[in-house]
Amino acid sequence: MATTSERTGNDAALIRPQDGTRSFWTRLTANPAYQRASDLLLSSDRRRFWLLAVPALIWMFGTHLGPILTMIRISFLDSYPPSAGRVPDVTLENYLLFFQAPNYITPFVRTFVYSTCYTLLTLSLMYPIAYFLAKKLRPSRQMLFLLLLLVPFWVGEIVRTYAIMILLGNRGFLNIVLMGLGLTSRPIPFMYTGFSLGMGLVYLTSLYMLLPLYASLEKIPRNYLEAAADLGAGSWTRFRRVTLPLSKDGIASGCVLVFLISTGYYATPVLLGGPSTTVFAETIAGFFHVAGDKWPEGAAFSTIMLLASLVTVGLFLRLLGRRSGSLLG
Amino acid sequence: MMRPSQIALTTFYWAFIVYLFLPLALMVVMGFKDSNFIGFPINAWTTRWYLQVFQDTAVLHAFGYTLLISIVSTALSLVIGTWCAVFLGPARFWGRALVFAVMCLPAVIPGVISAISMRIFIRAIGLEPGTGAIILGLTIHNVPFVALMVLSRLGAMPRSQVEAARDLGADSLVAFLRVTLPFLFPSLLGASIFCMLLSFDDFVRAFFLGGYQPTLPVLIFAELRSGMSPAINAISTVVLVVTAALGLWAERATRRLKGTRS
Amino acid sequence: MHRQSTIARFTDVTKRFGRNVAVDRLDLDIAQGEFVTLLGPSGCGKSTTLRMLGGFETPDEGRILLAGEDVTRLPPNRRDVNMVFQDYALFPHMTVASNIAFGLELQGLGLGAIDARVGELLELVQLGSFRDRMPDQLSGGQRQRVALARALAREPKLLLLDEPLGALDAKLRGQVQIELKALQQRTGKTFLFVTHDQEEALTMSDRIIVMNAGRIEQDGTPEELYHQPRSRFVADFIGETNLFACQVRGSEDGRVVLDWNGILLRAAGSVESLGGRTAVEAALRPESIRLTSERPDQANALRMRIVRRVFKGSRIDLDLEAQDEPGGNAGLKASPDPAAIEALVGDTVWASWDPGRLAILQA
Repeated sequence: MATTSERTGNDAALIRPQDGTRSFWTRLTANPAYQRASDLLLSSDRRRFWLLAVPALIWMFGTHLGPILTMIRISFLDSYPPSAGRVPDVTLENYLLFFQAPNYITPFVRTFVYSTCYTLLTLSLMYPIAYFLAKKLRPSRQMLFLLLLLVPFWVGEIVRTYAIMILLGNRGFLNIVLMGLGLTSRPIPFMYTGFSLGMGLVYLTSLYMLLPLYASLEKIPRNYLEAAADLGAGSWTRFRRVTLPLSKDGIASGCVLVFLISTGYYATPVLLGGPSTTVFAETIAGFFHVAGDKWPEGAAFSTIMLLASLVTVGLFLRLLGRRSGSLLG
Repeated sequence: MMRPSQIALTTFYWAFIVYLFLPLALMVVMGFKDSNFIGFPINAWTTRWYLQVFQDTAVLHAFGYTLLISIVSTALSLVIGTWCAVFLGPARFWGRALVFAVMCLPAVIPGVISAISMRIFIRAIGLEPGTGAIILGLTIHNVPFVALMVLSRLGAMPRSQVEAARDLGADSLVAFLRVTLPFLFPSLLGASIFCMLLSFDDFVRAFFLGGYQPTLPVLIFAELRSGMSPAINAISTVVLVVTAALGLWAERATRRLKGTRS
Repeated sequence: MHRQSTIARFTDVTKRFGRNVAVDRLDLDIAQGEFVTLLGPSGCGKSTTLRMLGGFETPDEGRILLAGEDVTRLPPNRRDVNMVFQDYALFPHMTVASNIAFGLELQGLGLGAIDARVGELLELVQLGSFRDRMPDQLSGGQRQRVALARALAREPKLLLLDEPLGALDAKLRGQVQIELKALQQRTGKTFLFVTHDQEEALTMSDRIIVMNAGRIEQDGTPEELYHQPRSRFVADFIGETNLFACQVRGSEDGRVVLDWNGILLRAAGSVESLGGRTAVEAALRPESIRLTSERPDQANALRMRIVRRVFKGSRIDLDLEAQDEPGGNAGLKASPDPAAIEALVGDTVWASWDPGRLAILQA
């Protein structure tokens, strides 16, 4: 944005300031049409509020809530997309289907068990790292060490999943190293198992655990720990009685984020998992890729998964004694 | 003299760094292997996979298409996210907490459900899968992040800044454009890079909302499923370098901006 | 001082924030060319009063007139007043010149005219060579001057200053007070100044309005406020003071006779003006007390012993205790000039003061 002085300074040879040239803002605000619009729309606080509120609310309720509500509505229909001349009936059939076959319930339960395990695994791996960054490093080095962790996460889901495949394949790096060391004579089948899937999910989601943990640990003033030490608390007691309770918010946010994100992956389970690790995302996706009219079933299953994940998160937050609603705040 | 706990933590940190970087490094190395077979050991080296990628029109198209979609959705996310933040930041009204929750919703819904509900939604409003649908889906997903980043910067802005502009004769629009917007610039830059990375890397929305033209992640996914060609290593390496460079540049730029004008 | 035409008038103005009444039925006139200060503790409503005049708050009741025009509900950009903010609120992304030009551009001036006006203002605040600096390259005092130039640029009818010296260090503040007063006299502008610092108010103002809990406690010149505080609040808030809780005994030679713990004191005024009150409070400034070794020829004279002595450089703070008078160990604070007194702790002296200096509080 060119300022007045810069303009008068730089363009002095071209435009004589005495010419009465006026700046963009002067011309805009002196324009009668602009003045009328400004008077009409901006002059009162109330009008300004509604001017901002109406488009924002339409966007938020229309596009943030709209798809979810549409999905729930369709989950109660017996057919969708609608065929010509036929009004779909309302039914509970799609929800009942879920409880009728074990090949639906199994991936569902597996998804939640896996996601919970991976979340706890990520927590136990990332807590020491967040603690190391926030409490053991000089502030000047914290950013550098954090940045180093950040870089791999700028690369997308698919590329990083593929990188894990190279690491874990039968002729992958890990097997070559193990065989080279003589620890195994034949390649260990890491791929297409819960192990490879877990390895991939931790690889993909650990940042979402790290950042909230780091933020909450970094906020704990050093003199709290010094005061505790002064009062005779050993390092374990200091950690358990001071650091851990004060980082509870970070633990909660991190776990919720990782849990929700890991239940939502589709490509990673497809690429890293096998038939024994099919997750619910794959089951749902199946309804949308087969030919024919399976959308209502897919919508019902998505609704079940959404509800189940939100309930899990709600229970978890209650367990930690934390009010919900401040998840991202 | 370091204490044992310090040594343990430092070792653990570096071990985790190795875990993060090793797979990517292997991928880069694999891109130079002269063999049709992906795996170890490597006996001969080549650059032909890169040459092949740069001549492959499908890859180049996918790259350009993904870039286009990312840029458009980022621009939309910036405008809408900033609008929502500017609305919600100072406003005090009944139900604000609910509106705030609705604003954050797309950021916390599991990806696959978000994509599938969008798939149903665009059908319900009469749109076909394709470019418009992907852009809409990405924008919806990005808006909460932009809004939250802008909100936090707005919170750091003294109330007197806008008041001074108004006092000096600016109506609220001029005050916003000439004072608030420049103040928000660092967070807008950060948010735009974040959105670019999220959009460029996104798979699940592009997969469920896309038409016939695949985005780069969808193309790589399809290649991975249909049997792995060594060219994937080259494509992925290019993506890796581009995104890492963009991210690093943005990190430096935003830090510098926040340093000088806070 | 001589009253000129009224530039701003508050009529019965009330402002509430939720249940809290910030400004309570305020009536206030500000005359053309005056330097008026709103003085009071934080939360007394002084800033809210200023912000209502600036257009940043809208009164719940009452009217505000600016040069005869009702501006009660006018937005800030439509008012002919400008403000110097507490944190200066310079735009960090604009140069000094662009900051000052901001308001001029929106007045519709051409670039040439703006350029000339900016130069003029920079000269006025003695920052001629800082034109192209960014605000973060300036010292606190320089920023304050830029904010002043920016606010004066549009030739406002009234300049509002919201504690603009609070961020400066003590030494600089004294110097800026003088400069600000000189600038106000040179430009002939009306200044409405808000502060919680009584010394600042006394130094600069033509008129001080002391506020407390949303109401005006007292309105007068610095001298009036200092020597004739109307209420205990004003006496307490401005400077050090001795407060006497007294019984009214009657009048004598056109003075009021008061009984303070059995000691008889004389104060200027008449019993009639007390409105029938029999118990009153009276205030006396410590520096109004003269200390002598001989009994002075003065209606108010007490023999007292020095019990504490604190050297303060330009003055000495003494705590005195009454000796043989009926009041027993009643205490006083006195602040004589160090050059005039060589008394030490334990010495007995005569404390005396002019009846005109003993102010009977009206509330």
